[in-house]
Formats: sequence, C-alpha cells, structure tokens
Amino acid sequence: MRLSSLGYLIKEGFRNIKQNAFMAVASILVLVSCLLLSGSAYLVFVNIESAFDYVYSQNVAVVFAAETADEAAVAALGEQIRALSNVSDVELISKEDTLTRYEGVIPEATFEQLQGTNNPFLDSYKVTFIDLDDAVFKSTIQSIKDMPNVDDVSYNGDIAATLAHLRSVVMLIGGVVIIVLLFVSLFIISNTIKLTVYSRRLEIGIMKSVGATKAFIRLPFMWEGMVLGFAAGLLSYGIMHLIYTRLMAMPALGFISFTSLSVTGLSTVMPVWAELLVGFLVIGVLTGMLGSGLSMGRYLKEESGVSSD
Amino acid sequence: MIEFRGVHKTYANGTKALRDVNINIEKGEFVFIVGASGAGKSTFLKLIMHEEVPTAGEVIVNGYKLSKLKRREIPYLRRTMGIVFQDFRLINTMTVFDNVAFAMRVTGASKREVRKRVPYILGLVGLENKARSYPMELSGGEQQRVSLARALVNNPALIIADEPTGNIDPELSYEIMELLTEINRRGTTVLVVTHEHDLVSHFHRRVIVIEDGTVVSDVPQEQPAVPVSEPANDVVADVLDTIQSAPKGSPADAVIDDIVNGGDAQ
Repeated sequence: MRLSSLGYLIKEGFRNIKQNAFMAVASILVLVSCLLLSGSAYLVFVNIESAFDYVYSQNVAVVFAAETADEAAVAALGEQIRALSNVSDVELISKEDTLTRYEGVIPEATFEQLQGTNNPFLDSYKVTFIDLDDAVFKSTIQSIKDMPNVDDVSYNGDIAATLAHLRSVVMLIGGVVIIVLLFVSLFIISNTIKLTVYSRRLEIGIMKSVGATKAFIRLPFMWEGMVLGFAAGLLSYGIMHLIYTRLMAMPALGFISFTSLSVTGLSTVMPVWAELLVGFLVIGVLTGMLGSGLSMGRYLKEESGVSSD
Repeated sequence: MIEFRGVHKTYANGTKALRDVNINIEKGEFVFIVGASGAGKSTFLKLIMHEEVPTAGEVIVNGYKLSKLKRREIPYLRRTMGIVFQDFRLINTMTVFDNVAFAMRVTGASKREVRKRVPYILGLVGLENKARSYPMELSGGEQQRVSLARALVNNPALIIADEPTGNIDPELSYEIMELLTEINRRGTTVLVVTHEHDLVSHFHRRVIVIEDGTVVSDVPQEQPAVPVSEPANDVVADVLDTIQSAPKGSPADAVIDDIVNGGDAQ
C-alpha cells in the first residue's frame, strides 16, 4: 500500500468518526463502562493484595544465632538461611545493632559497660518468607532450627496459615471477576461495532463495487476503532482516578478499613496508576482495532453486497 | 469482452434465475439488456460483477475467466469495469469531487493524478461547477451523472449501467443515455439494463431480451427483431413490438419531443 493511500485512509477514519458521531460516542461509552468495571475490580484486587503484602512483611521470624558462634559462623548461617527456597529476605541484626537501640534508654554508664565482649544480646536474623502456607511455613522453620549455630527461632505460626489461605481465595475470586468482565466487555464492544458496520454497509458496498481490496476497506474502520479505543482508555483513566481519590478522601466509608492500609502503601504509589493507564490504553486500542477489524466479517466478503445490501 | 457459455444460475432457495444463457458481447459494443423485473437481468449483472457465481457454465469478463478467479483478484476484476446503479449509490457525506476521486484512491492513484483526472471527468459529464456540492444538493439527473463520472474515472473498458434512468425524470433520461452513447463512441463497451422501451427503441442498438431466465431475443444493431421464441408475456411482446416499429433514422429530437409532449412511441 502506498504512503499516500495510508494518509488518505487515516483521514477517512477521522472523517468517519465525525460523520458517525453518535455511534462513536456510543462505542466510547460502552468501552468506558467496561474498562471502569474491570478497572474497579483490579483496584480492589490490588488493594487487598497490598494489604496482604503489608501483613506479610510484618510476619517475620527472628532467628537467634548461638552465643558460641563467631562472626564467620554467623555469616555462614545467614547464607544458609538465604539459600532456602521459601525465604524472600534475610536481614542481619548484629548484637551491636540491638544494643545500639538501647542507647539513651539505659543509663550511660551501664551502656558503656555492655560494649564489646560484655554484650548480653545474640546476633540475629530477621527472615521474611514467600509462602506462608501452614505445612510449607512449618517445614521452613524446622529446617532453620536444624541448622548449626541456631539458638532459637521466634515466629507466629497461626496468623501465617490464615493469611496464606485468605490470599489464595482472594486471588482466585479477583482473577475470575476480571476475566469475566473482560469477556463481557468484548462481547458488548463487538456488538456495538457490528451495529456501526451495519449502518455503513452501503459505503462498504460502494467500496467493493469500485474494486477496493479488503485491506483498503478495513483500514479506516480499524483506525477508527483504535482512535475510539484510545479515547475510551484515557477517559476511563481520568474517571477512575477521580473517583478513587475522592473515595479515599472520605474516611467514613466502611470498606476503607482494608484500603486505608494502602493509602500509605502500594496502591497510591505511581506504578499501579501507570499500570492502569497502560492497561486501559492497550485494552482500549486492541478491542477497538480488533473489534472493528473482525466484526466486519461478512460485509467484507468479496462476492456479496455490491449491488444490493 | 463478455462471454456467457451455457450459464445456469439456481439460487439456494431453488429459484432458477438463469437457464442456459449463451451471449457474446464484443469490445466496443453498446448493448441493451431488456426484461421484466424478476426475469434474470439482475442475476446476469451479478454474474458479470462476480457478486454471484454460476451454478453451471462459464462467464468470461475482460479477459478474466471467472470460474478460475481467485478471491483476492475480484477487486482487480471490478476495476476493469465501471458500474452505474439505479439508486446512484453515492456517499452522501462526501462532496461530488470526493465521490468520484474515491474510485481512483481505491486503486492507489496519487494525489496529483486525482487532482488532474477528476475535474476532467466532471467536465465530461457537465458537472465541473458542482465539484464542491454534496449529492443531496443535486437533482436526480445530476446525481446519476456523478455516479457515471465515478464509473468512468478509472477509464474502464466496460461500463455497466443497471437501470440508470430508473430514478430520474424522463427528459433527463435521454441526457444520461446520450452521455453513455458518447462514451461508447470513444471505444468503451457499454451495457445498459433497462425496462424502458422508449429508450431502447430510440437508440437503435443491439437488444438482448431476457425472459424467465432465458434469452428470448438477441437483436443486432439496426436490424428487425426476430424472436427466437414466442414472447413469454405482454412486456416482452411490447418491447419487441416497439423495437420493430420504431422509425429508423428519425432525428432524436423528434422522438424526444414526441415523448415529452405526451406522444406514445408504441
């Protein structure tokens, strides 16, 4: 296809939007509703996830190294814990660090006395886990306990198990809701576009009668779909952002109990919004483009619809 | 140019639209296809445009053997012909210029070619001053001339006009027919489907009569009609009668006058 043709077809796409303003607005509104539904489900999901992340990050085990262990042995223990597959993070808290926390709390003379070899504390590791599922978690704890130079492991087992179970349920429900909503959106969108294409079958017939190829007929429609999809994506993002920030500003809302966690946590951090914007635009443009390209189906068949509708 | 060899067309619902049609139209001919509605004229055209495929037999158009035609070649077949429809089939949201230019853009013509060619063609059909108008601002006759300009713009070897005068005033019908005659004089093959006897009898051209799916008469230019079978009904009888009785070589003006002033050519 020549470049001049491409320019012409893009211009045609814009002209079509202008000429069919009503259908264009209708398509955008349908797409916006679908994106908002999926987007809301996604945001709720992200919030629950971030709430979990917060609780998870609090659920650490503290591993105390044996008093007899020297610096090298403690370091080796750290490496050994880090090597476990269910461990996501290991942080060394040396006995000096622990002691430093008490500076100013205990009398200065006592503090000075406790420096060096008189330090009463143990070197320890703060360990964060990947999977808190009961059996996995317990076996991880057990394998740490079995390591040499371990004095004791302090952890909270019950909360871990409950959380892990809840999280998997939420993930399943969230995933199903989003997928169902996306399918519903696709169905509605492809029907809306079929309606637009139907209302323009005369134009398509004329194109065929003067010898237009499939690609030539399809391109302005696909471009039109892309432009509408992009517009719907932007609009949905704006509406979503507005509604969400307004809701967050209302402390009286009941469901805020779990989202309030994330006001300072993940979900107000830019990446989630960036993710949502990119997601809206990509889904909008793709459904617009594929929806119009594919739902033209029978109107594009070379044989029919040339001299009659 | 156009050849039908033993063509049959039966639709899925059992309607036998064409039965054993054999026609040969040479390059440069001007042919009327006549018949009552439902006789098979539309099917005949659809087969030429490859909008329908024959149930049996072979159709050859502009060198394309249609039974061998691949789908992606169909648009290129259609570019070798210009089609004029009864209902004009113009895009109402485009100017006259764009409606005509449209057919060129489809073929990938450059902007320069379009700017040069479209005004020339609009001049040919007498619409040079209407380039910026929209179809709804024009009379039926003018709209049909736009449609004709669109059919002509790619300089096709064949023009097919499906009831080109069906939706316009009778006096303007002759204008359209004169244009088609002029186009034919320049070497383009012209095929006109009509049921208007007056037009057919006025322009002494080859007339093919289709009735009930078969060719009942094929009369070469300027020769008395010899029916190949008994006329199937009154319409066909009328047409044949008109063709035979029209005064040969009578000045066009006199005939037009006759019709416009209420005279009856039959």
